[in-house]
Amino acid sequence: MSKAKKSTLQVRRFSMAFVIAHAVNAFAFFALYVTALPMYTEFFDWLYPVLGGPENARLLHRIFAVLFMTPTFIWVIFDPKGFKRWLKELVTWKKRDLEFFTEFVKELFGFKFKHVRQTFFNAGEKINSFIQIITALIVIGSGFTLWFPELFPKFLVQWGYFLHNVGFGLAIAVVVGHIYLSVVHRHSSPGYSGVVTGKVPAWWAKGHYPDWYDEEVEKGNFPDIDHNGNPKGKKGA
Amino acid sequence: MAEYAKYVDVTKCDGCRACMVSCKNWNDLPAEPEDFQGSNQSHAKVTANTWNVLSFIEHENASGNLEYLFRHSACFHCKEAACVKVCPEDAMHYSELGTVVVNDEKCVGCGYCVQNCPFDVVSLATYKDKHGKEYKKAQKCTLCTDRIEEGMQPACISVCHTGAMEFGDRDKMIQKAEKRLAEIKGKFPNAVVYNPPGVGGTQTIYVLAEKPSVYGLPENPKVPTSAVVWKDYAQPIGKMMLGATTMAVIGAYISNKIFYKEDEGDGGHE
Repeated sequence: MSKAKKSTLQVRRFSMAFVIAHAVNAFAFFALYVTALPMYTEFFDWLYPVLGGPENARLLHRIFAVLFMTPTFIWVIFDPKGFKRWLKELVTWKKRDLEFFTEFVKELFGFKFKHVRQTFFNAGEKINSFIQIITALIVIGSGFTLWFPELFPKFLVQWGYFLHNVGFGLAIAVVVGHIYLSVVHRHSSPGYSGVVTGKVPAWWAKGHYPDWYDEEVEKGNFPDIDHNGNPKGKKGA
Repeated sequence: MAEYAKYVDVTKCDGCRACMVSCKNWNDLPAEPEDFQGSNQSHAKVTANTWNVLSFIEHENASGNLEYLFRHSACFHCKEAACVKVCPEDAMHYSELGTVVVNDEKCVGCGYCVQNCPFDVVSLATYKDKHGKEYKKAQKCTLCTDRIEEGMQPACISVCHTGAMEFGDRDKMIQKAEKRLAEIKGKFPNAVVYNPPGVGGTQTIYVLAEKPSVYGLPENPKVPTSAVVWKDYAQPIGKMMLGATTMAVIGAYISNKIFYKEDEGDGGHE
């Protein structure tokens, strides 16, 4: 819900490699979800004919499974610096990260909240990252035992069903929140362009990730702006 | 409804394999050419098209003598069947007779039952549709549910010439097994009645001459713990969690509409 007076000035938040990796990840995730949904709930059995029958649904699920494993490699290969920053941020936890959550809950439900300074990724994004990393490892790992049961001991295959179910159940529950925050929620949705073009409004970047923004200003990468996103000392630009 | 069971006294079996032939015949199952198994046994185990197999086990007993052990092996028709528990399509189900059978219309050939059967009994059969496209269905012994419904005995039992097999009221079959066990204990000190409680008991009651493991059977088969936590906990909790987060975001959306004031958010982005 940016106001009319907000500047349209944009800054680069994500590399194109990340944008593509994120898009592949999102597409594969939902394609996997849809192709397995009739196996999860009989309510969606009508999807079988849509997917070309159970055999075809299984084939598609396997194709998308391979696709689902590629985003990490895309990111690592084409944007190692961005990937490294992500890992570094994930292991860095300070007091401000904990403060973030109490304020986040207020913000989520539309109440008055205060500003907690964050770096490139905020604490919520870090938690989301952790959950998606863990669930992806669970789902991919157990996926191998289900795909190639003849290569694994029986108990691993049997526990594979359980783990596949848990990993995906946790992931989808979190994805609902992730998507809500990115496309619906009034404070975070302006950043949605970050996963489409890689660029986000400068005022939004400074508001959400002030430590990161200031750091980039210091490096000379981003213009110094006021809270409406207009460069300080200049007009327009 | 009365509970039925198949009684199998392996000590009376002479290994004639009429049960195998009769099963193939009644159920119209194709022959499966097999390699030599190293003994008189025809197939390594039951398959999707061979629902019962007579196993021939060469066993050295306690006194060092060779014991040639025969066992008619087929689906046990567990009272608490793992295959029924894990089936995502309700295809594997209990019939009105309590037998465990597959509904071919519902089966999607996923093989969950194959991987979770504690006795390794269920397999997938491959068929071709009219376009030549392959599809799979789980197949196994039905205990001739179709025959029982018509007041007949299961095909395998109807041809058993030594009286090793019988079909009838489950309690009576258990009593018969206990009685028979007492009779053979002298000759077979390790003999047991096999009706494992870990799967809620079975509808095939065996009198085994040796420990179950001698016959390649699990000593304490049970519904896999993984199947229980998967189906009874993970799946319902997963669905609840998805519901919970969906409710949370809907709540957030509504709450924002009610409580949010333009000026408060200004500059307050995190």
